[in-house]
Amino acid sequence: MLDAFRSTAVAFALLLGVAALVLIPLAFTLPDPGRAIATFVLGPFDSVRHIGNIVETATPLMFTGLAVSLMFRAGMFNLGAEGAYFLGAVFAALAILKGGLPAWAVCGGAIVFGGAMGSLACVVPAVLRVRFGASELVTSLMLNYAAMFAGLFVVNYFLRDPNAGAMVSYAFPPAARLAQILPGTRVHIGLVLALAACGAGGVYLFSTRWGYALRVVGANPGYARHLGLPIGRILISVQALAGLIAAAGGAVEMQGLYPRFGWPSLPGAGWDGLVVGILAGNSPLLVPPAALALSYLKVGGDLLSRNYDISAEIVGLIQALVILFATARVRGRLFPFERRRLARQISAETV
Amino acid sequence: MWTNFLVHLADPSFFATVLRVTTPILLAALGALISDRAGVLNIGIEGIMLAGAFTGVVISAFVNSAWAGLLAAVLVGCALASLLFAALRWLRSDLVLSGVALNLACTSATVLLLYALTGDKGMSGSLPSRVLPEVHLSFLKGLTIIGPIFASQHVLTWASLFAVPGVGMLLTYTRFGLRLRAVGENAEAAALAGVHVDRVRFAALAISGAFGGAAGAFLSMGYVSWFAVGMSAGRGFVAIAAEVMGGGGAVGTLLAALVLGSAQTLATNLQGVGLPSELLETLPYIVPVFALVLHRAALLSITPQL
Repeated sequence: MLDAFRSTAVAFALLLGVAALVLIPLAFTLPDPGRAIATFVLGPFDSVRHIGNIVETATPLMFTGLAVSLMFRAGMFNLGAEGAYFLGAVFAALAILKGGLPAWAVCGGAIVFGGAMGSLACVVPAVLRVRFGASELVTSLMLNYAAMFAGLFVVNYFLRDPNAGAMVSYAFPPAARLAQILPGTRVHIGLVLALAACGAGGVYLFSTRWGYALRVVGANPGYARHLGLPIGRILISVQALAGLIAAAGGAVEMQGLYPRFGWPSLPGAGWDGLVVGILAGNSPLLVPPAALALSYLKVGGDLLSRNYDISAEIVGLIQALVILFATARVRGRLFPFERRRLARQISAETV
Repeated sequence: MWTNFLVHLADPSFFATVLRVTTPILLAALGALISDRAGVLNIGIEGIMLAGAFTGVVISAFVNSAWAGLLAAVLVGCALASLLFAALRWLRSDLVLSGVALNLACTSATVLLLYALTGDKGMSGSLPSRVLPEVHLSFLKGLTIIGPIFASQHVLTWASLFAVPGVGMLLTYTRFGLRLRAVGENAEAAALAGVHVDRVRFAALAISGAFGGAAGAFLSMGYVSWFAVGMSAGRGFVAIAAEVMGGGGAVGTLLAALVLGSAQTLATNLQGVGLPSELLETLPYIVPVFALVLHRAALLSITPQL
């Protein structure tokens, strides 16, 4: 655990370093570089509303970050979290608007239904991999797009409000919205769910038999086979669980922040979850701080784009560099105090 | 309605469209093939396509020449793939995740630069960009089936078709191709045999980047005449699926790309029949999944189980 915290500290230092690397040269193209940087760095903390923005942006990232962490721990390069997240939101909207659930059950029922249906986007690649050996990377990438169009089909044909100008669903009834918990912000009860999920994920991964089996399969499939672990069943169930978490994240996001469904395409939370998982070193308990760190950057980028002639996509560049540096295995050379841990890791890999 | 549609399918102009739709997939798939055979599958080809499409539009608008745009797109593709190689070689970062990072960076960077250049975050409509020409073969016009299919195709469509035997021969019959395959099969053995593994991998990635850049240039300077944000729309991933389906050969890759291109064309054409367009649009992404599974299942059935 200490190792994990240390490497997360390094990852955060990296995050800040990379942000500075991208931002400072860019800021000097603006008329007032100092104020632009201050807006990015301090802006997210300058009001309760902005701090609330950080927390509400981090909430879905905790779900997708946890999902990615579990899948990567099992050694699967399944990138289906993106599609699962989208489908989760779509099917939550379907359950709310067409499910006929009683008012007391609609909130939870929508999250469960959205989670279960959205999970398919991660289960299908897992089954195809285990059963046929088809690369889960390629099939999950393809199925993300298929999931997006299938979701848009559901919205367009079953949920669309003909009186609205754009392709959006009917408005959700108040009973389906998640309660807000901090006055003056839009932070909703989904945050509690996200934190609980990450906590439960940590217990599952490190303190249960199933979590241990999962880690053995991910770390050393040959050894797992030697032990006689049911590898196929473990891989599929882990990815079903991860899909469920990512899709529930989509449902929670939809019910927490939006009055109706109106996403025109994939919102990118799955890719963000990848960055969160990497920053957290695939440790569920470190997912919340990693999600908060990433959403801090996102809010900063957003403020920058609103006040200056710069687009918020700058954060995407920072994320890309973070992925690159955080997965680099030469960090031992860059950060001396990590050297011993990396040496151990590498010798374990080569054995 | 359905009979109309079937008549439409028999029309040679349908196949002409298939070739047009297949072009970017085929170009990118050939790039992916070269990188995969060297053991460094270029997942970043999706982002490289996007960057190529953007560069082609911008350079052709500023230099006022479509060919300069194409050249720039190819060079940018090479440069980005070289960056990927640098990350793999010197940072020793993960192959798949660095590719994902490259895609992310290209998506963001194109929006950022498009906004800086045009003030628009969606399309490059305000840039007076050029398109690459079509090749008109007037002597083919009279022929019954071949005429309508091949008489006027885009120059990059021809390039992609000629690139298939080119890549096939490069991989099979040249010294470089042999070394490339050796590196992909077993890098340590190749290194022991005196092959410069890094050099070969660098070359393979650079070539794949060039193909990706050309595929992007086709999108924005042939398929349509502008750049739109996210216009590669997963074609790079479809291309990777085509390469995997193709089983590691250039001709197989061509056939797989044609299948996926046909699926995409069908998805567009079937919308006239009155089926929901969203469901049809899933077709080009579901077909590769099925094809991949069938391909693997066939392989499993002929190889002895361990």
